[in-house]
Amino acid sequence: MKNSNDIIDDIASKEYEFGFTTDIEMEIAPKGLSEDTIRFISAKKNEPEWLLQWRLKAYAAFLKMKMPAWQHFDMPQIDFQNVSYYAAPKQKKQLNSLDEVDPELLATFAKLGIPLNEQKMMTGVAVDAVFDSVSVATTYKGKLKELGIIFCSFGEAVQEHPELVKQYLGSVVPHSDNIFAALNAAVFSDGSFVYIPKGVRSPMELSTYFRINAENTGQFERTLIIADDDAYVSYLEGCTAPQRDENQLHAAVVEIVTLERAEVKYSTVQNWYPGDKDGKGGIYNFVTKRGICRGAHSKISWTQVETGSSITWKYPSVILQGDHSQGEFYSVAVTRNRQIADTGTKMIHMGKNTRSRIISKGISAGHGDNSYRGLVKIGPRAQSARNFTQCDSLLIGDQCGAHTFPYIESRNNTATVEHEATTSKIGEDQIFYLNARGIDTEKAVALIVNGYAKEVLNQLPMEFAVEAQKLLSITLEGSVG
Amino acid sequence: MTNEVTTPFYNYIVDGFPGFLDATPGNFLPLREEAFTRFKTLGLPTTKAEDWRYTNVQLFLKDPFTFSPVAGTVTETQLAPASIVGLDAYRVVLVNGHFQENLSTLPAIKGVTIEPLAAAATRPLVQEHLGQHIHLQDQPFAALNTALFTGGLFIEVAANVIVDKPIYLLNVYTTTHKNAFIQPRNLWIIHTNAALEIVESVLDLSDNGIVLVNGVTETIVKENAEFSHYNLQMAAKDGRYIHYTATEQEQYSRYHHFNFTLPAASFTRNNLSVALHGNYTESNMLGLYVANDAQHVDNHTFVDHLRPNCNSNELYKGVLLDSAKAVFTGRIHVNQIAQKTNAFQQNSNLLLSDKADINSQPQLEIYADDVKCSHGFTVGQFNQEALFYLRSRGIGEEAARNMLVGAFAYDITDQVKIPAVQDYIISHIEESIVIN
Amino acid sequence: MLSIRNLHAEVEGKQILKGINLEINRGEIHAIMGPNGSGKSSLASVLAGRENYTVTQGEIIFEGQDLLEMAPEVRAREGIFLAFQYPVEIPGVSNITFLKTAVNEMRAYKGLPPMEARDFLKYTKEKQQLVSFDANLMNRSLNEGFSGGEKKRNEILQLAMLEPKLSILDETDSGLDIDALRIVSNGVNKLRNSDNAFVMITHYQRLLEYIVPDFVHVLYNGQIVKTGTKELALELEEKGYDWLKEAYHLKESV
Repeated sequence: MKNSNDIIDDIASKEYEFGFTTDIEMEIAPKGLSEDTIRFISAKKNEPEWLLQWRLKAYAAFLKMKMPAWQHFDMPQIDFQNVSYYAAPKQKKQLNSLDEVDPELLATFAKLGIPLNEQKMMTGVAVDAVFDSVSVATTYKGKLKELGIIFCSFGEAVQEHPELVKQYLGSVVPHSDNIFAALNAAVFSDGSFVYIPKGVRSPMELSTYFRINAENTGQFERTLIIADDDAYVSYLEGCTAPQRDENQLHAAVVEIVTLERAEVKYSTVQNWYPGDKDGKGGIYNFVTKRGICRGAHSKISWTQVETGSSITWKYPSVILQGDHSQGEFYSVAVTRNRQIADTGTKMIHMGKNTRSRIISKGISAGHGDNSYRGLVKIGPRAQSARNFTQCDSLLIGDQCGAHTFPYIESRNNTATVEHEATTSKIGEDQIFYLNARGIDTEKAVALIVNGYAKEVLNQLPMEFAVEAQKLLSITLEGSVG
Repeated sequence: MTNEVTTPFYNYIVDGFPGFLDATPGNFLPLREEAFTRFKTLGLPTTKAEDWRYTNVQLFLKDPFTFSPVAGTVTETQLAPASIVGLDAYRVVLVNGHFQENLSTLPAIKGVTIEPLAAAATRPLVQEHLGQHIHLQDQPFAALNTALFTGGLFIEVAANVIVDKPIYLLNVYTTTHKNAFIQPRNLWIIHTNAALEIVESVLDLSDNGIVLVNGVTETIVKENAEFSHYNLQMAAKDGRYIHYTATEQEQYSRYHHFNFTLPAASFTRNNLSVALHGNYTESNMLGLYVANDAQHVDNHTFVDHLRPNCNSNELYKGVLLDSAKAVFTGRIHVNQIAQKTNAFQQNSNLLLSDKADINSQPQLEIYADDVKCSHGFTVGQFNQEALFYLRSRGIGEEAARNMLVGAFAYDITDQVKIPAVQDYIISHIEESIVIN
Repeated sequence: MLSIRNLHAEVEGKQILKGINLEINRGEIHAIMGPNGSGKSSLASVLAGRENYTVTQGEIIFEGQDLLEMAPEVRAREGIFLAFQYPVEIPGVSNITFLKTAVNEMRAYKGLPPMEARDFLKYTKEKQQLVSFDANLMNRSLNEGFSGGEKKRNEILQLAMLEPKLSILDETDSGLDIDALRIVSNGVNKLRNSDNAFVMITHYQRLLEYIVPDFVHVLYNGQIVKTGTKELALELEEKGYDWLKEAYHLKESV
């Protein structure tokens, strides 16, 4: 068996697979952040006045806010003036079909495993592809439109469905929610928009693929998903970025609204560039994701597999407002090298008989530092609310950290809240047992880790689950306990 | 940097400091001054401080308080309400922090020293340890105590001495027509192979005045020593108690800390910090809080596993009635070299009123891989099926509820190794849980 | 002793009992049989006063009093005893403390002083022997970690100690091996007399070989669809319930 030094070397030597850059003519806004930047973006997107005003309000709030200090890592200094807030591939005219998308972009996404060409597309998955600041293509739009499903870029939604955007934008994550959400509200450039009408179950998975390409830019996309009464959609999100020495900021916002009996399942496989073995470079992934179960008997489920980014700071949450509504959070977060993850969820129980379930699996290797941070709040009117939380941490090597910081606030005596957390390592006896059956140590670790994460991986749609499993195995290759 | 929050209480302390400070030479002057500077930097916490997120201590500091009154005269008969039936123990009585020899019965055992901390100030051991086991840098109240403590007890048990009976340490507070701010300070050292049991309790005899007590106890449990500390907090209504208990354990030592917070002090904040500086230690931290009326009970615990092969076991249970509020924060920190650590922590709560609140933060911070660590939290009501079962056997609803509360507390009360203390606590629990 | 008249009850909005009529006199043993989900255990729960059951129609008169008006503990003190199908585990409450509390609450209700410790011990020992109850279990937490058989025996021990007028045994035979069944049955047979009555809820005829009932009722779909003597139980054992179900549905559809 390898000793721990070899292991660390092995982990470190594992290359980031998606670190290439795309050479394409870009339109990039000059660095810097001011009201003018916001007006520039808003004008670029040809936005109505109310949206510009909303952005400016958010910017004013942003200026007054401080960086958060409660997380289990030292927040890096971010020079917000040294970032470019808009980067888009140049395009000559309005696109009428996917065939008109720049072949270089199509090639980029194909290389990432996301063919945008209709014939090669993944069946059953509609994709909105976001390249730096803008959405470059959305597939299967026509087919979805027949069902009344709106699936388009955020910019398009502002033009085509302003009433829906106006009604729901900022209704779950207010413009002043936290410093990164405020920044996003001020400068967001694109993202995806989904509306599922009453009684419609989306026949295919909807997905957005985010790609950061340009240097010294931040990515600030915004996603809004609305599921009307009795609607259902499963939504997937993937992301990658080139390998660069500078840290890049990704501050996204996702808002989900479910009305009566509606259900949204949101899955993320996050594989932003994690930085190198010394912690140089990588994406700062500071994301605000929140859903509100506004209707009775509605449900929002978050599943995330977090393997990338140098720092992950995100807490996909559910506000359980409707009676009998349900929230779920399933997470696998892997940190290695010098990666840091401070992630978890908030379940805010407001309605009667609301239920939430939190399953978090942290895996720390190398010098990685992994924290679960979660809030379960039972409001005074949440009669008979229930929560169950399980947080497990797996440590691989003795240089990493695994932490659990739950916050539990109960204001209703008919509620039941249970939280359990454990910390363990991969047992040498487990590895030996598998070795004795002819399975080499690397495969054994992969097997054990995948087994450990199974409860979460099982929540992912099939295509994603396979990818996520591979990703976990690759990420942890060579890391023997 | 100085804190930005000033309140009448803060100003009273800061303005009064030169006069409050006992400048007797040898009275820890440099330590006191340093601590006061620290206190001024930290200020009195608001709910913005992570450590005070769920406890707005400012609410309990609003009334005007008078700094550290001297001991009033207390007679034996006045102590009667605090007597524990059947307890065979030595007794030490402190009034407003000040040692009362006439009311105390000390062990006449060679190697056992019990005296006021002030009297022990010049001992090298005291100079060496006082203020060295608390986290002054982020604990404003411990810093304030360090700067301005008066009274308190120095206890030393020499190597190989087993104290044959428990010491009953009774903290009496008296104040008349005035609110009193009292800051006792204890330093207890249990040497190698020694053993000691302390049962600590409170008796609030204040008459028309509120006591605010901000105490600190530092304890060192040396190699293979054993120390049991039963802290019974069942003070009178309106009392406000902040206490910081810092214990350091050396190798093979065993430490058992029991904290019972029962009605009716309006505010209790306990900080228990246990640092495991030696291998193969054992630490048991058991807490029970039963709160009614508008009581606010806040327990913060911190176990620092600094060395390998240590076991820590923590169980805090709470029963909340009326509009009582409880806070639990339990942090387990496992250092990178503390391999083979076993650390267990559980916080369970019964909410018996629709106005009661619980806020809990069980935390694990783990930097070693070959460890077994877990924590758990639960909150709920009575098991309805159990209640029905008892009632179907003719047991009235109230009696059945009392039985279930007793059963809930049993995990803790069962661990109390002194029968008289166990009976005393169980009967107090029963009295506390009249459900309206 | 007990009259159940046109009893309708529901749980969580679902109608479970749909018009039960039953008369029980002192000295009688009634067996209630029926397929799963027919309402047998619900009837037991309603009699004992389980709170999630709502009586929507009908009445239950016990010894001339309206049983439905009474809290569960009052029913127990008036002489109703339910041997639970699944006795509850209560960690932290010792079996002996529990029994003592129950016995003394009953005595207080009758205006009697609490039993002296010595008398209580003697009384317990006597009853323990009756059901061959392991004395070691007395100081353990109530039902905690007891085997299935030990739990059921503990139920019968409580029955013996509380001396109820009407005992309802809810599937006391389920999960018992043949020896345990014999011990439990012997206990019941020793406890029966001309003043008390028993209702045995069971799936199987087996129990009725040990405790011979005066009446056998078949419960189906929330109603008593047939009443007979112990021969009916044998017939059910042989033919199952289908013939009764068919007859019932035939009648319903007319």
